[in-house]
Amino acid sequence: MIRIILYFAFTSLVWADGIDYNAAITVNYGDSYDFYSYTENRFDLNLFYNNVQAWVQYEYSNPPEIGFPINDIRKFRIEYKPLDFTIKLGDIYEFWGRGLVLNQFDDQITNFDNGTRGLFLGYSKGPFTINHINGNTDIWQLGNDLRIPYYKHAHNMYANQVQYELNSLSLGFTQLHSKETHQKIFGEAFVNHKLNGIYASWTGANADLFLEYADKKATEKTNIIENIPHDTLKNGYGIYSNLNIYLGNWGLSTEYKRYAFDRGYSDFTVDDYGNQINFQTMPTLVREQNSTLMGRVTHQYNYNDERGVQFALNGTLPNGYYLLAQYSQLSRNEEWQSVTSINWNGTSVDGYLPSSDPSAIPYWENYQEMNGYHFDDKLYFKLGRGENYEVLGLMRYFEGEGESITENWMYTDSIEWDNGWFYTDSVLGSIDTSNYSIEAKLWQESRSITFPFELSYTFDNGYSVGLNFEYQERKIRNVTRGNATTFNYSDSTWLLVNPENPDTSFIVYDTQFSDGDKQYNTQFNRMISLTLSKASNWSVTLSHDQTNAFEGQRSIDPYYNPLEALVYGDIKYFTGKRDKSNPPGFIQKRWVSVKIDYSLTPSQRISVQYGSIQGGLFCSNGICRIIPPFNDGLNISYTAVF
Amino acid sequence: MKKYVSVLLLLTCILLFGRESRSGRAIPDLKIKLLNGKQTSIHDLLKDGPLLIDFWATWCKPCKKVMKHLDRYHQAYGNHGFKVLMINQDTPRSLGKVKSYIRSQKHTFYVGLDPNQETAKKLNGQIMPTLILVDRDGTIQWRHQGYVPGEEVEIERQIRIALGLDMQSDSPDS
Repeated sequence: MIRIILYFAFTSLVWADGIDYNAAITVNYGDSYDFYSYTENRFDLNLFYNNVQAWVQYEYSNPPEIGFPINDIRKFRIEYKPLDFTIKLGDIYEFWGRGLVLNQFDDQITNFDNGTRGLFLGYSKGPFTINHINGNTDIWQLGNDLRIPYYKHAHNMYANQVQYELNSLSLGFTQLHSKETHQKIFGEAFVNHKLNGIYASWTGANADLFLEYADKKATEKTNIIENIPHDTLKNGYGIYSNLNIYLGNWGLSTEYKRYAFDRGYSDFTVDDYGNQINFQTMPTLVREQNSTLMGRVTHQYNYNDERGVQFALNGTLPNGYYLLAQYSQLSRNEEWQSVTSINWNGTSVDGYLPSSDPSAIPYWENYQEMNGYHFDDKLYFKLGRGENYEVLGLMRYFEGEGESITENWMYTDSIEWDNGWFYTDSVLGSIDTSNYSIEAKLWQESRSITFPFELSYTFDNGYSVGLNFEYQERKIRNVTRGNATTFNYSDSTWLLVNPENPDTSFIVYDTQFSDGDKQYNTQFNRMISLTLSKASNWSVTLSHDQTNAFEGQRSIDPYYNPLEALVYGDIKYFTGKRDKSNPPGFIQKRWVSVKIDYSLTPSQRISVQYGSIQGGLFCSNGICRIIPPFNDGLNISYTAVF
Repeated sequence: MKKYVSVLLLLTCILLFGRESRSGRAIPDLKIKLLNGKQTSIHDLLKDGPLLIDFWATWCKPCKKVMKHLDRYHQAYGNHGFKVLMINQDTPRSLGKVKSYIRSQKHTFYVGLDPNQETAKKLNGQIMPTLILVDRDGTIQWRHQGYVPGEEVEIERQIRIALGLDMQSDSPDS
């Protein structure tokens, strides 16, 4: 009831004298044959009156594309700025430094929201700024379900920032304390987090520099009933630096990171807590791709345990062509050895740079792009090339010495019986040992190369045509390497595959791509889209996505849409003679959709998409999620600002 | 039932507020941190003449295409007091590359930083690109969402209306 009163109080202010406002409506509707349906409606209202600002967001979503159903005020905030002070009450989103301690945002595409509902106090005068946040944050994570969050991490937090700016120099100190109730797979944990950070920046005419360091300590309340003191759970730190150098119209951007809030040879799960918390959303040092196919193979970075470097050089040639070359390399902070099949030991990677050894779970990528205009800027082209390599996981990784033992026994006593001699005693005369190398490795790796291409031409009458084409070759394979594959616990050693000849070593590549019973070493992906548009009015885009194999098995989908039937000339589809139990082969590995965008007014757009969309990894704002396929469905999206 | 009530509510809002793109409402005086480290405000940028605000990110393809034209208008109509303010929404993931990109393109317009979308949310500019044209007295004259090639003609027309210029003369594109 209070929320409804609050909502109507906000909206009624729109008609009050002296109050300025703006508002936005977002409507998303989707329905597909495989029950992937959603209805999202959001209404944002901003009010401004002298030094008071207010924001309220009402949402009716049942269900949303991702998240919980809601029919309520979702967000609100009131800001008051008297003189040098700022007071905010409601949903707070702050960004300090480069986010090693605090970076809050609300990303509804991935359903990531780490904002704090509470109080913000700020004071800024001259070069000094002091800020304080106090409140509660509920951060949700997905479990097995790809659309409905399951794990809740509730934070009762406060944070402080002090910043001093003098000309081109800036220095800041940050601090964040949080009491977290952390939901695990079974039960929950109570964890206190303490973070302290420092950052500095310098801006010059031909260069600028940014440095940030954050230190983190987590303690766990092990027994809340008996009030046993907190035990230290995890200590960690993070370092980030960014140096940019400019020469004419060329710029070189270099970044270095070393995040060591936790350590591990495998993926972190919800049961790995006490390490990096979701207030810390930091630079990742991989390129934020705007190519669909490259977005699907992006690295799933690790904020807890990863170091890396990134270089990006860009500039413009005398003829106006824009060039970009980018390279980044990452790895964990440790190289891992499986001393048994389940016990792993980590050794710190030497120096400061990332390792390329598979035991450090490395990743590298490079991307080059050239784009430009011709014919009085009517023709636009873009050519790109992106390549990456990643170790996705270690199953076993041991390299060391093994020892074989041969005992030489001598017989010292014997008896004669029934015309024969039998030995009755013996002593160990000598032991012969021989050493040999053991290598027992199994890891999964992925490698891809992608070529995005774009071409568009604008006519004088406002019409334009565009062509986007992306081609990708991708490999995912298990690599088995060495001369041993299994660990013998009774002998505490890795067993040789060929004990007679320990030097026999092998390397086997096991592809993970298949289509039915047939295996493919390489997955070929092609995506093409054609766009016809009329400036300020409408655009129509026809997209075709195609692959030749899948990672893992897929069940046969008997349904396909008339658009796919039309593109492939399947007349039976329209004459009612199609075989629903044995559909044509082309539909399994192709997705066709058409999208129409129409501008009702310059500030109102409606978008209608019909067809199928292949699911996959989608990343936004540093957060990634797996999007399920959208099959033979309709998406309608409407946005308006006023 | 609730579903239909919500839909009706939204349709009402569309009818009430959505028809006019020329809103005539005042823009709030928000503080903007510029790429060169300095602070300014929207009203400061309006002192000499109209201001065109656009929201962009380094990974946004249509944003980069429209920037080329906006920079040209910023230079061509600068002597009339017109300015372009490009508010960048790159997150820490790509924030380090913003200045390098602007320098490489020789863009001369003002670039503001809004990494957690605080300004974008206050001006409803979460969709990129979103253009907001504000006249000298702080009144929003025109809003526009998205960009397809060819729309720069309409953008320039709106700028010239805000400047009170003859449509035929002194066009940088002519």
